[in-house]
Order: sequence, then structure tokens, then C-alpha cells
Amino acid sequence: MAAGDALASVDHLITQEAVSAYAEASGDFNPIHIDAEFAAGSHFGRRIAHGMMIAATVSELMAGEFGLDWARSGKLKLRFRAPVFPGDQIQTRGTIKKIDELQEGGRRITCTVVTVRNPSDPGEGDSEEVAITAQTSVVVA
Amino acid sequence: MNDNPVDYAALSAGQTVSRQVCLLDDATISAYVAAVDDGSPLAGSEFVTPMAVAALSVRGVVNDLRIPGGTLHLGQEIEFTDAVRVGETITCAAELSQNSLRGASRILVVGLSVTTGNGRTVMTGKSTIAVPA
Repeated sequence: MAAGDALASVDHLITQEAVSAYAEASGDFNPIHIDAEFAAGSHFGRRIAHGMMIAATVSELMAGEFGLDWARSGKLKLRFRAPVFPGDQIQTRGTIKKIDELQEGGRRITCTVVTVRNPSDPGEGDSEEVAITAQTSVVVA
Repeated sequence: MNDNPVDYAALSAGQTVSRQVCLLDDATISAYVAAVDDGSPLAGSEFVTPMAVAALSVRGVVNDLRIPGGTLHLGQEIEFTDAVRVGETITCAAELSQNSLRGASRILVVGLSVTTGNGRTVMTGKSTIAVPA
């Protein structure tokens, strides 16, 4: 593992059913997520996914790479850059930014993570939009 | 959503805005994992997928501050400090750290702290939200 290495990306299709299930599971019933009529009159013009639902893919990526170390020492700082709409395909991908040896033992791995909606393959043009930018770190043995 | 309005302008930094106790039982965590379709190795394990803890701490803010429709979540910081096992009970506390007016929105920055029944701190964080002014 070295600076510049890519982490295994996480892909999801965001459906309205999943957004509604997230509202139930999280207790966040903001109508912008679940009420089509309310959302139509909002700045976005339609329902959007919960930010924390999309942010969960950042944690999923880090837990997939670092397992329990992520739950014990993970740090996450993110900005929501653009909404994700039901029907969007999203991809969360990350790169190791740096690795620091710690005096107390172990290494702190700092990563740059981004979530995009409607990801495009290389050479397919640039239809994707950044939904989340994040910096994460985790301490490993 | 709660229809009773909160005077957000009257909230001051240092004020505790939420405190909720939540049992992280299998049904609660399974519903969360299914909703986010978490494919990581922590999902379905004896440990709580950590973002579930964060989501439940934010729930306390949403409910106790009676966050209105149209509120936007601008940013989030989280630090996980210990793993939580399924079946543990957590207490989620939130304290307002910043309250300012920006254009047509009121920006609230809320500090989060999550502890278990035996006093272990398992998560701290900070949510930045924009409430329609």
C-alpha cells in the first residue's frame, strides 16, 4: 500500500425506494427526500437522496479497505457538492494521499475520496458530476 | 418532520440541542444496512457499520431541532473512536457551536458526541446545515 494507490470503488444505483427506506431507517423524513409534490417546489425541482445516505458509500469504501480499523479510528471530513437524485448511478472512489508512520506505532493512512453521480468511463466524455468530496484517514497496525 | 416551529435565530453557541438514547439492536442496524445497501465486511457482522452511528446521531439533531423541509446538509465531519457491537445502547448528544445568517439561510454548525452505556466515546463529529431563514 503506497501513496497514489487507488482504493476499490463502490457503485450503487440510488432508487426512490432506497431513499424512502433510508428515511425510515434514519428517522430523517425531510419532505425534500420523500414528498414529490413538496420537492417539485424546491430549489432542486424533484426529490433528492439524503446526504448521509450518499456519505455512507464513503464509509463503505473505507470499511471495505480497512475493516474494523475504520470503525475504531476512522476520520471523515466531507462536503456535499451536488444533490443525488433517485435514478442516479453513483460511484465512490478513493486514492491514498499519504502514509505517516506514527510514533506510538502503526501508520495513519490519509485518502482523498470522491462520490460522482452518473460516472463516465475513460474516453466516454465527461457526463459525471461530483456529489461529495471527502478526506478520510484511518490508523492501521 | 414536526410542525412546531423553532426560533433558530434564538439558538446560541454552547446550547445543547439534542440528546437521544438509541438501542442498536439487530432490527435497527439491519434496516440501515439494507437501506444503504452496505456491502462492506462490517455489514452483517457483530459490529455496527459505523456510519449507522453517525446517521442516528444526526437523526437526533433533525428531530429535536425540528429541522424544516428545505434544509440542506452542507458538510459533515466524523471521527470514529471505537467500534460498537450490535446490541449496545448509545447516547447521542448535540451542541450548537455556530449560528449565523448567510443570505436567505441560517447556517447552523452542530457538534456531535456519541457514547455507549459504559461511558465509552465512540464517535464525535460536526454537522453543518443550512436552514431556510
